[in-house]
Amino acid sequence: MPGSLSNFKFAGFKALLAAFALLLVFAQPAAAQLSFKPTAEAVQEDKLLNALKEGDKISGRISIPDKNAANLIQPAGRDWRDFHRSKLPWIGGVAILGMVALLALFMMVRGRIRVHKGFSGKTILRFASFERFTHWLTASCFIILALSGLNVSFGRTLILPLFGADAFAAMSAWAKLAHNYLAFPFMLGVAIMFLIWIKDNIPGRLDIEWIKQGGGLFSHGKHVPAKRFNAGQKGIFWIVVIGGALMSVSGWFLLFPYLPGNVTILQFWTVIHAVIAMLFIAAMLAHIYIGSIGMEGAFDAMGTGEVDLNWAKEHHALWVEEQQKKAGAPSDRTPHAVPAE
Amino acid sequence: MKSFVLALAFAILAAVSVAMVLNSYQEASWAAFTTSGARVGDPGNNLTGPT
Repeated sequence: MPGSLSNFKFAGFKALLAAFALLLVFAQPAAAQLSFKPTAEAVQEDKLLNALKEGDKISGRISIPDKNAANLIQPAGRDWRDFHRSKLPWIGGVAILGMVALLALFMMVRGRIRVHKGFSGKTILRFASFERFTHWLTASCFIILALSGLNVSFGRTLILPLFGADAFAAMSAWAKLAHNYLAFPFMLGVAIMFLIWIKDNIPGRLDIEWIKQGGGLFSHGKHVPAKRFNAGQKGIFWIVVIGGALMSVSGWFLLFPYLPGNVTILQFWTVIHAVIAMLFIAAMLAHIYIGSIGMEGAFDAMGTGEVDLNWAKEHHALWVEEQQKKAGAPSDRTPHAVPAE
Repeated sequence: MKSFVLALAFAILAAVSVAMVLNSYQEASWAAFTTSGARVGDPGNNLTGPT
């Protein structure tokens, strides 16, 4: 029965066709899901970026002179950006505000450190004019560098809302220029300081005793013998020299960003620059405090260069003895001694 | 006081001198980071334009 066989074959073909049609109907949503996953590519890119190790980059080929422009993506940059946005403000805030709080507490508890025996009316030359010049050269540059640097880290958050975008932009542009160029006299000042004061800042046994007794800072009328610089002043000297050197090297790389060779090294030095800067500012706040309102008679050392003899004997007894021996003067007199103003 | 004023004056003088020396050596970014074939005729006066 050819006819019935033909009908059977056609019926079988129809069933097969229907089965394919059903398959297509059920398969269609699955196909649609695969082709319309909007985040599928992004997920893959994210996995790809996470798979890249520190220092890896996705680079292309370019023909312009700046070969670093060939780097399209550098995943380590995200960590660097995260550090500047979230960790650095905390480091800076804790270091600087913490130091301000400590100094305020110290002043409340200890009060101003007075000259125990009172002013004698005689003075002794503590710093020559060139030493004072070097100190103020470095200090004045440091203050501008610190304020303009803090503006880079905190200005957008703290100053922009107060003064508005235009004033903040103009101020920041001038601050950046001052930061870039005053860095050079600052570096010169640090280098001269190192050369002229290194001989008096070598740590010795006396410093251990000074540290053990807290420099006499926490007890009234108690003074630890010291030479020209006590352990605290030596600490400040080395903070300035080492901190200044690190700030100078890292700052040099920031001023001339092609020097580090690649962006990963540049990012490393920006982190060093920022962290050292915060610690440096905190340390200098302590130095400024004890050299001005914290200790009676201390500012004269860098103001006029001459300090009261009693102040010198209380804080630098061994240095006064050395000076008097050199001058061949009796123990309570000095050739530099002149009536106090 | 004299040392302080002298130090301030020297700091400003040194900063200005360094700025002048560096600026004389420095190329603008639109010139330093492009080849001549990629430069536009007038780069304008924005941040990357001629100084």
